[in-house]
Formats: sequence, structure tokens, C-alpha cells
Amino acid sequence: MSKHDFRGGVLIENPYPLNQLSVVEVPPPKKAIYLLKQREGASAKPKVKVGQKVKVGQVIAVSNNDYCVPMHSSISGVVSAIDDQPIAHSSGLKVPSISIESDGKDDWISLKGCGEEVDKCTPDEIIEKIRNAGIVGMGGAGFPAHVKIKGAQGAKTIIINATECDPATLCDDALMRKYPEEIIKGIEVLMYACQSQKAIIAVEEDKVDAIIKLNQTIKNKNICVEAVPIKYSTGAEKLLIKLLLDKVIPTGSFASSSGVLCQNIATVKAIYDAVVIGKPLVSRIVTVNGSALKNPSNYEVRIGSSFSDIVKKSKPSANPHEIRVGGMMMGVDVPDKNYSICKITSSIIVDEIKIKQKESACIRCSKCNEVCPINLLPQQLFWFCKSDNTKKASSYDLQDCIECGCCSYVCPSHIPLVEYFQYGKALVKKELREQELAAKSRERYEFKEFRLDRIKQERDKMMAEKKAALKAKMAKEKDNKAKIAEALKRVNDKKK
Amino acid sequence: MITGKPILNTSNLMLQVIYGLILGVALQFYFFGWGVIYQITLALITGIAAEIIFLKIRKKSIDAIKDNSAALTAILLAISIPSIAPWWIVVLGTSFAIIFGKQLYGGLGSNPLNPAMLGYAFLLISFPLEMTRWTSSFLSFGEGLNVIFSSINIDALSSATRLEEAKFALMEGEVSNPIQIDRTVWINLGFLFGGVYLFYKKVITWRIPLSFLAGIIVMSLLLMLIDSDHAMGPVFHLFHGATMLGAFFILTDPVSSSTTPRGRLIFGFLIGILVIIIRTYGSYPDGVAFAVLLLNIAVPLIDYYSKPKVFGR
Repeated sequence: MSKHDFRGGVLIENPYPLNQLSVVEVPPPKKAIYLLKQREGASAKPKVKVGQKVKVGQVIAVSNNDYCVPMHSSISGVVSAIDDQPIAHSSGLKVPSISIESDGKDDWISLKGCGEEVDKCTPDEIIEKIRNAGIVGMGGAGFPAHVKIKGAQGAKTIIINATECDPATLCDDALMRKYPEEIIKGIEVLMYACQSQKAIIAVEEDKVDAIIKLNQTIKNKNICVEAVPIKYSTGAEKLLIKLLLDKVIPTGSFASSSGVLCQNIATVKAIYDAVVIGKPLVSRIVTVNGSALKNPSNYEVRIGSSFSDIVKKSKPSANPHEIRVGGMMMGVDVPDKNYSICKITSSIIVDEIKIKQKESACIRCSKCNEVCPINLLPQQLFWFCKSDNTKKASSYDLQDCIECGCCSYVCPSHIPLVEYFQYGKALVKKELREQELAAKSRERYEFKEFRLDRIKQERDKMMAEKKAALKAKMAKEKDNKAKIAEALKRVNDKKK
Repeated sequence: MITGKPILNTSNLMLQVIYGLILGVALQFYFFGWGVIYQITLALITGIAAEIIFLKIRKKSIDAIKDNSAALTAILLAISIPSIAPWWIVVLGTSFAIIFGKQLYGGLGSNPLNPAMLGYAFLLISFPLEMTRWTSSFLSFGEGLNVIFSSINIDALSSATRLEEAKFALMEGEVSNPIQIDRTVWINLGFLFGGVYLFYKKVITWRIPLSFLAGIIVMSLLLMLIDSDHAMGPVFHLFHGATMLGAFFILTDPVSSSTTPRGRLIFGFLIGILVIIIRTYGSYPDGVAFAVLLLNIAVPLIDYYSKPKVFGR
């Protein structure tokens, strides 16, 4: 048990009856849709054409951008469409996608990994393998794993985040119980790739089975399991580092700059698959939980499978549902189940429709500040965001909000505080962009003015020179004329 | 750290505060009689009516009445004023508190001043005579009605408060016995108990009440040292006047008090100091209302300069 702590947080118990769910392996789906943009930033470009045959593990989309990893097919079959599909978000935003229809064979490409002797490869080769396997942070942020590892070369400590990051999500627990050996081996690979001496696996204290399994598996004395309290928002990277190492990572800098690398436990398992077996990231464990389900469960599914297929396996009730993706605290509500599993989809919550508590006036009770792990003043930020006062909101450190949702959870007036903060942050971003644009166009304008001025000056100079030349010429001509006239006069005078 | 599911919503929070008042009010009833009940009833009717009318005028949903904040303001004002004050005092005060103290600022959550204390201060300044006569005996059902609704001469019934008595006694050089347990002490104990209940229910936190009581103790000790002719000592101040009612029910009004952890300590402590100064040198018997209002005005400043240190900054 960790000796340290961070301020705030809420003790939220899993609201659903089961706190340990078995893993059900789901056979490859008939059809899979791959979203080529899984996080903010660049999207991968398709490498296949409609009608092309693909195998499981074949690269179907790539990008030159280092922050965008390749996408692999998770089923074997034929590319049926390349079009735009909605991401699982209430905005209904669409991103480029590839659809593949299965041929029912589950044909794999030939896999070539390093095998158990990882040190035959150099750390750089391993990092390249991780990139080529399309691995991103599977806890929810989806940050490319290889970028993070590259930045954390020589990190003293590696923290493996197995805290679920959400009270209703149980996929990390299932993974630890099913793949303890793979996880430990994956950690060793990671330690070798970063040349680190120590790894800590952070597991919530109530996941007893997982802790026992891991401890039985660990042979390496540099790897240890640390039970952490069930306090919510422990899963946030910087808070976990504070809890385990009592280190505060300053705002604006990464954990790696303090010699720490934090990786999600599912990411570590994917790293094992990629490096040791040579298998790209084509499947993950998803928790399907909720009050509307008869059989909540963890499913090991292929990336690209549809939500509705998986939810169906949990026997949902016939009533209309409320669907939330990515956890009860930080997830997003989506209108229906017509979405596909991404690399970052950790959970799908299907609830009976609840009566929404009506938002009432903020009474400044400060309960939000009491639970804020970052020690912000949500009650003040709420006012500033509501009145579009981005300047004030920024001076109260709006940008430091990690959107964990503790404040919204405890608010007696049921104010969706995090939504206001997201709005405020978007507004700040927009203003910054506008400022940048304005600065750019001013620069352009000033340069244009400068250019026009220079041209004018040059022209004036040229004109003046020409004028002078002309004048000189004219003067010369006049002079000549006068000379001619004089000569003529002289001739005429002589004639007389 | 807050555990489990949050059970409190805003209207529930206000209701809990009202529950916390029950013991203190019961003791007031025991000592002063039916007048207390009449004042509370009148205040409740006036407060809720004023709230509804102004919500209508402001074209807001009447649902806002369900937050119980108008009821709480009305009760707090009613128990602050003398139980034998004529009916129009409480009606006027409650209307003023709800309309000028809250609704005109934009309703619940937007008022910079504590509405109940604003109403009290308004009454005290405008009607000092009616506001400072307390009954010395238990009033029966009928007596109470008579006193409040007809203009009978109430001088026979009224008396000064212990705070005033003590003050006059000191002025005239008499040695007052400050630890004498009288009804004010009992009522203060009642509100202290209610405060502990609110703390237990997590409606309030320790910061404001304890820093306020600390302010009272520190300032009264200081005055005892430098000006023993006027000072009455911390024990007397803690259990007389509106000390406990103020500490747990008035100062802790979340809307008008400071919201930062350090700000709350400063807020409570400064009110404690001001209360003692007003009680000792002011011309009014008690200073809680004025001290609270003064510090309410200072809250934006306090909050601005007591911003907590943000993680990672």
C-alpha cells in the first residue's frame, strides 16, 4: 500500500452489482469498420483499395506523421468501403474509415517476433516494432506508445497503470487475471527498451485475485505490485505518480522529464504481443456493464467490431437505453450503438434511462474544490466559463483541469461542471487560434505594406534617375541645337 | 475525500440546516413562549410569498422555491428578532431580505450579502426600539397573539438582553458574573448542538465556525488584557448573543461566505474579531449581523488573495 496520497478525489464504488467480470472471447465479426483517426491530430491514409483481399494483421492504413500509428486489419476478408464514419461521440463527427467484410476464415499474416530473447534486438528496434504494431495508450487517451517510450529513454521508474481509471470499468482486472505472464514479460520488454531499473504495477486494492496472480508470476525482483486505494481519479497519470513516488510533475511538462514512464497495462500486453510474437494490435478487452444488462461481461474483441454485436451478447433489456462509452466518469454519452470498437474503447455502459437531475443554481458550497485533485476552484471557473470570460478562467488555471468529473459528481446543484470547463477550454483554444491568425494576417499585411513601399521607393528612384537622364539629354540636345543654330547663323552671316 | 454517493442536493442541504435549528428553536420556545412560533410562521409565509412573486416578476420557474433557501432565510431572520416584536417587523424584514437581499441580485447563488442578516440589519437600524426589547417571561398562546398583533404596551413584558445587562453593569462598575448559566446560554448550547449535527451530516465544514470562535476567543482575551473595564471575557462571549447561531448557521451560508479553504479561515476569524469590537464598543448589543455583512463585502477580495496552490504549478 502506498504511503503517499494526493488531495481530493472521491471514493466511488462500482454502482453495478458485479465487481469482477469474466472474459468472453468473441469470434471475429462478419464486418469490421476501422476509424483511421482515433485521436486528435493526423489521420492515417488508406493503403488498400475497395475490393482488395486482406489478411488478419495486414497493414491497411499508414501515416508519415510519427504521432499517428498504422492501422491493421483485424479480420481476413475483402475491403468493402472506404468512406467517412461517425466516431463514438455525441458530436456525430465523422472521420475517414475502412470497412472490411469477413471471408470467415480468420487467415493471419505470418508473424515474426523477437521471441523470448528480447535482448537480441536493440531498444530502437523494439520501439520501431511497437510503432509498426500500431500500439497506442489503451487506457483512453490513445497517445502513441512508441512516442512516449522514445521520450522516456533512461527513465528510472516505469509505472504500469492497472487502476482501471473508472469505477465501472473492469477490463484491466480481467486482463491481469487472464494474461499475467504476458504482462510481466511485456514489462520486462519495456524496461529493456527504456533501460529502466524498476517497474511498479499499480492495482486497486480490491482486485485481490489479480494482485495474487501477478505476485505469483513475478520472478524479477525489480518488478513489484503496489495496491492503491479505490479512490477515484487515481488513474490519472500525474496523480498516480504523486501517489506512488510522491513526485509532482509540473504543469506543462511530461512525466518522462522527471524520469518516470507511465503505461497502461493493456498497452503493456500489446507490447508483449508486438515484440515477442510479432502480432500487431488487432484486439482488446472491453468491459460491457450497466443496469440494463442481464449478463455484464468483459469481451475480448477484435478492433472494428460493432458496439451492438457485443452489447447483444450481454442480453440487454428491451427498454430504450442510455449508452456511455469510455467509463461512467469521463466517458461520453452516445445516441445509439452504431459505432465500432476503437483501440481506446475500454468500456461500454448500457443503462436503463434515468431521470436526469435538473441543474439548479450554484450556491458556492465549495464541495467541488474539496474533491478537486488539482486543487482548482471549480465554483469560480464555472462562473467564468458560463460568462465566456476566458481571461479570468485562464488566470484560475482552467487549462490544468484534468476533466476527471469529481466536481460534477459531488455537486449538490447537479451542475455538469466538466462540460462547462470543456466549453471554456474550447473557447480559449478558439481565441488562441484567432489571435494567431490575426497575428499572421497582421504580419502579412505589414509585409505587404513594406513591399509596396519598397516598390514605390524603387520606382520613384528609377523615375527620378530617368527624369534626370532625360533632362540631361534634353539639355544636351538644346545645347546642340543652339550650336547648330549658331553655326547656321555664322554661315548665313558669311553668305551676306 | 468524500465517500460514496452524494446524498445531498441543494434543497436537501437547506433542509438539513433547518433541521439543525430545531433544538435551538425549541429552547427559544421554552424560554420565550409562543411568540417564537408566531414569528417563524409569519416569516415563512412572507418569505415564500415574496419569493414566488419575485420569481414570477423575473419570469423564472416557480420550481426554484423548492430549493428551500427562502424558507431558511425566513427562519433565520425570525429567530434573530425578538419574539415580542410586532408582526409588521418580521413581515417587513423578511420581504426586505428576500427581495433586496436575494431576488434583485439574481436569486439564489448570486447574492453577495447574507439575506437574513441584511434583513436583520435593516430592521435594527430602522426600528431600534422594537428590535431590542426581549421578553423576560414565557408568553402563552393568547399572550403571544396579543403582543404581536395588537399595539398593547409591552414594556411590562420586555427586558434587556444579557449582553446589554452585562455591558451596563460593567459601565456602572458592577462586577458581573460572566459564567452565570441563563437562558441565552442554553439557547446557544442548543445551536451548538445543531452545528455539530450539520458537521456530522457534512453540510458544513469546520473552517468557518472554528475560525470564527477562535476570533472571538482571541479578541476577547486581548481586550481583557488591554481594556479590562469594558471586556467580558471569552467564555461569556462564546455563550451569549448570537455567537453559536452565527458560527454554525449564519456565517456558513455558502453563497455569501468565502469559498477557498484559506479564505474561509480568514473570513471566520475576522468576523469573530469584529463581533467582539462591536459588542464592546458599539452602541448595538450584538454585532454578528454587522460583522457578517462587512465581511461579505470583503469576500471577493479574500477569495482572490487566497487562491489555493494548484497541483503542478
